[in-house]
Amino acid sequence: MDRRSFVIGSAASAAALITRPSIAQDVYPSRPVTFVNPFPPGGAVDVVARPLAAVLEPIIKQPVVIETKAGAAGQVGAQFAASAKPDGYTLLMHIVSISGFAEVDKLFGRPVKFTRDDFIPIARFIADPMVLVVNDQQPHKTLKEFVDDAKKRPNGMIFSSSGLYGALHLPTALFMKAAGIQMKHLPTAGGGPALTAILGNNSQVLVSSIAASSAQMKAGKLRALACFGAQRAPAVPNVPTMKELGYNVEFYLWVGMFAPKGTPVPIITTLRDASRKAAADDKFKQAMKNLGQDVAYLDQAEFKAFWDADAKRVEDAVRLIGKLEG
Amino acid sequence: METVFDSLVLGFSVALRPDILWFAFLGCLVGTLVGMLPGIGPLAGISILLPLTFGLDATKAIVMLAGIYYGSQYGGSTTSILLRIPGEAASVMTCIDGNAMAKKGRAGAALCIAAVGSFIAGTFGVLMLTLIAPPLAIFALRFGPPEYTALLTLGLIFLAYMSTTSLVRTLLMAALGLLLGTIGIDVMTGHFRFSFNIPELGDGIGIVPVAVGLFGLGELLATPSHQVVGDVKSPRLRELLPTREEWRQSAMPIARGSVLGFLIGIIPGSAHIIASFLSYAVERRVSKHPEEFGKGAVAGVAGPESANNSASTGAFVPMLALGIPTGPVTAVLIAALLIHGIPPGPTLVNDHPDVFWGFVASMYVGNLMLLALNLPLVGVFVNLLRVPYAYLYPLIIMFCLIGVYEVNHSIVDVWIMLIMGVIGYGLKKFGFDPAPLVLGLVIAPILEMSLRQSLIMSDGHWLIFLQRPIALTLLVICVGLLVLSATSFVLHRRDWRAKLAAAETSES
Amino acid sequence: MIIRTDHVAGGAFLALGVLVFAISGDLPFGTLSAPGAGMMPKLMTGLMMAFALLIIAAGAESKPFKSLDWSDRGHAALLVLITGTAVALYQTLGFLITMSLLVFTLLVVVERRHVLRAAAYGVALTVFAYWLFGIALKAPLEHGLLWF
Repeated sequence: MDRRSFVIGSAASAAALITRPSIAQDVYPSRPVTFVNPFPPGGAVDVVARPLAAVLEPIIKQPVVIETKAGAAGQVGAQFAASAKPDGYTLLMHIVSISGFAEVDKLFGRPVKFTRDDFIPIARFIADPMVLVVNDQQPHKTLKEFVDDAKKRPNGMIFSSSGLYGALHLPTALFMKAAGIQMKHLPTAGGGPALTAILGNNSQVLVSSIAASSAQMKAGKLRALACFGAQRAPAVPNVPTMKELGYNVEFYLWVGMFAPKGTPVPIITTLRDASRKAAADDKFKQAMKNLGQDVAYLDQAEFKAFWDADAKRVEDAVRLIGKLEG
Repeated sequence: METVFDSLVLGFSVALRPDILWFAFLGCLVGTLVGMLPGIGPLAGISILLPLTFGLDATKAIVMLAGIYYGSQYGGSTTSILLRIPGEAASVMTCIDGNAMAKKGRAGAALCIAAVGSFIAGTFGVLMLTLIAPPLAIFALRFGPPEYTALLTLGLIFLAYMSTTSLVRTLLMAALGLLLGTIGIDVMTGHFRFSFNIPELGDGIGIVPVAVGLFGLGELLATPSHQVVGDVKSPRLRELLPTREEWRQSAMPIARGSVLGFLIGIIPGSAHIIASFLSYAVERRVSKHPEEFGKGAVAGVAGPESANNSASTGAFVPMLALGIPTGPVTAVLIAALLIHGIPPGPTLVNDHPDVFWGFVASMYVGNLMLLALNLPLVGVFVNLLRVPYAYLYPLIIMFCLIGVYEVNHSIVDVWIMLIMGVIGYGLKKFGFDPAPLVLGLVIAPILEMSLRQSLIMSDGHWLIFLQRPIALTLLVICVGLLVLSATSFVLHRRDWRAKLAAAETSES
Repeated sequence: MIIRTDHVAGGAFLALGVLVFAISGDLPFGTLSAPGAGMMPKLMTGLMMAFALLIIAAGAESKPFKSLDWSDRGHAALLVLITGTAVALYQTLGFLITMSLLVFTLLVVVERRHVLRAAAYGVALTVFAYWLFGIALKAPLEHGLLWF
C-alpha cells in the first residue's frame, strides 16, 4: 500500500463514517448505554449506579458502561450530559444538588451553564432522608437541648459539610434558618472528610445521609438528634423528624436518572420500563438495603413532581446562604 | 499478644483457603496491571470490577478489591522507570532516578529494587496494622486542619532538599506549582479562579496530566531519535539483578521509606504522593552523595517506592479501625463492604472477625504473591527497551494520551498534558526542575484549605497552631530544620557562590 | 550586555506574574484572619516574581542565551503539531482511528519509516491497546462517530 492508496482508503472509511449512523437506526438500544457519574468513584451516585447497571444489563440486553466525569461538585458531569447527543445512549445519574447549580451561577453573575430544563427526568431510585448528628463529646441528647445551647452561644459550634452549596451544606442552612441559630461552617473536600472532621471533634455537628453515618451511629460515636424526612426513617425509627419537632424542613439525598433534553419519547418509554423492572429486582433491592437505604422508586410523572418541589427547597437554600464575601 | 496471635490464626485459616487465595491472586494481578497502565489507577480499577463481586461473599470481594489497591503500588513503578510516564500518581518521583537508572542500563536493577522495596514496605505496613491499628487510628483522627497545615509546611521546607537545581530555582518552581494548584473553584467561597469558564478547570488541574506532560512528553520533545541511535542498551540477563552495592545502598532508604510512608498513609486525606515526595527529599538530605540524585541514585528509587506502598497499607488503618475513608480509594472499598452488607466502622472487628482478620492475613499472602508476580515480570518488561527508540516513542505518546484521558474522560486534561509537555521542554532548556512544581501543585489545595479551615475554627487566631500538641511539634521540627540549614549556610558562606555556580554549570 | 539564559527565563516568569495579577483583580484578598479567595494566588504570584528577580540578578553567571542548543526544535514542533492534531480529532474519530493514524504519522513523517511497516505497527499497537484497556479492563474508550 503506497501513500496514494492509503489516502483513498481513508477517504472511503470517512465516507463510511458519515453514512453509518443512518444505517444504524434500528431498535433502541442497539449498542452499549453510558451512564455519566458526575462524582468520584465510591460516591453517592457510584454506589447506586453500579448495582443498577448490573441488573439493567439483562433487561435492555446491552452493556451499561459507567463513565466517571467528576468535577466541580457534580457540575462537570451534568454539563457534559446536558450537551450530549439526545439519542438515549448517554444518560446522567445525579443527586439532589443538580437543582442548585444554575442558582449558584446566577448568584456569582456567571453565565448559567445548564438549567433543570436541559434534562428529562426518567426515574428516581433512592431518597435517603438526612439526619442531624452530633459527636459523642457533645452533651445534647435531644434537638431541643441542642438548639437551646446553640442559641446561648451564636457561632460557638462548628458544622462540617462536603463543600459550599453541597448536599450536606444546604439542609444545614435550611435548619439554621428555621431554628434561628448561627453556627460556623467548615467546608471540606467531600462527604468522607466531613465525617472525619466530626469524628475528630474538629466540627461538632453534621447533617449527613443515614447511609453514610449509620455505622458510626451504631458504634455510639455519633448521635442522631433529628431526621429530615417527612416520616421517620425505618433505619433509625427512634429519631424524630424535624416536622415533629416543629421545624418545617425536609431534605433528601436522592439519586435519579436523567436524559438530555430532546431525547425521543419512545426511547424515554423504553428507559422508564427498564428502570421500573430494575428497581423491582431483588438483587438491586438487597444491594440498596445493605447500603442502609430502601429503594424509593418513582416513575417519571411522580419524580417530576417531586423534583419540582425539591428544587424549590434547594434554590431557597442557595439564596439563603448567598454569596460569601472574602 | 496472645489475642493478636489467635486472631491471626483465625485470619490465616480464612486467607489460606484455596478460594480466598485465588481471589487475592486475581486482585493482585489486576492491581499490577492497572498500576502499570498509566491513567487507570486503583480507583478506576476497583470500581470497574466492583459489580463483578456482587455474586461473591464479602471476604472474597474485599480481599480481591484490596489486592487491586496495594497491587497497583507495585506496578506503578514500571512505566515510570522504563518510559518515564508515571503509571500512577504516587510514582512521579520514581520517574526521575528510576528512568535515569534505566538509561544507564540498570532498568532491571531499578525494577527489582522497586519490587523488593514495595514488598518490605507492604509487609511492614501490615505488621503495624495487625499490632497497633486501634491506637494508631485514634492518633490519625487527631489530625485536624491545623495539623495538616503544619505537616504541609514541613513538606515545603523539605522541598529545599528535593532538587538538584539551586534553591532559588527550586522555590520558584514550587511557587509556580502552588499557583497552578489554586486554579479552580475556591471551596471556601465558591469563586472560580483562573478557569476561563471552562467547567473542567473547576476542580483544578490534575496531577496526572501535569506530571505526564512535564516528565514524559517534555522528555520526548527534547530527544530526537537521531540522538539516541545506537544508544539503546539491551540489558543482558545477568545485569537484571541489582549488584551487592546497589542492595546495600537501598537497604536504609527502604526502611526509612516504609516508616515514613506508613505514618503519612494513616492520616486521613493525605495523598500517597506526598509520602513519596517526602521520602525522596529525606533520602537526598541524608545521602552522602546528594549530587547523584537525578542521575540514577538507587536511593531515589528505593525510598519513594517503599513509601508509597506502606502509605497504601497505612490507609487501611482508619478504614478498618474506624470506618472512615482516608482517600478516594478507601472510600470505594468502604462502599464495596457496604454493598456486601458489612458496615465498616469501629465495631467491624468484633462483628465480623472473620472478614477483618481474613482480610489482614490475606495482605501478608498478597504481598508475597505480588513479589513472586513482579520479579519475573522484570525480565519481561526490560525487553521493552529493546524496541528501537523511533518505534518506542510513538508508543509512549499514545500511552500518555490514553492514560491522561482515562483518568476523567476529559479532553481538556489531554490538552493540559500537551501544554505541559511544551512547558517541560522549555524548563529543561533553561535548567529548571519540574519536580518541585508537581509537589506544589499537589500541596496547594490541601494547604490552602487546611489553613483557612484552621482559621475558621479559631476565629482567625493564628495561635491555634501553637495550642495543639501535634501541630506544635511539627512546627518545632520546621524551625529546627530552618535553623540547621541557616547555620550550615553561614558556615559555608564563603564557598556558597562557587557551589551555586558549579551547580548551575553541572546541570546545564 | 549579553543576554543570558537566566535573564530570559526570569523575564518570562515576571511576565507570567504580571499576567496573573491582571486577570485576578476580582478575587478578594481577604485579611490575615480570614484569607479570601485571592490571597493564595496573589501571594504565590508575588513570591514567584520575587524569585524571578533573584534569578535575573544572579543571571550573569548563566550561559549566554545564544549558546542554547535548539537543534531539537524541529522535532519538538512536529511532535506537538501531530499530537495536537490527534487530540483535536480524538473525540470525532474515536480511539482506533485516531491512535492508528497518530502512530502511523509519527513514524512516516517524523521518522521516515516505510509506509507499510508504519501502518502495520500503528494498527497492531492500537488494537493491542484497545484490547487491553477497552476489553480486558472494561475502561470506556472514546468511540467517535463509528461505534468502535
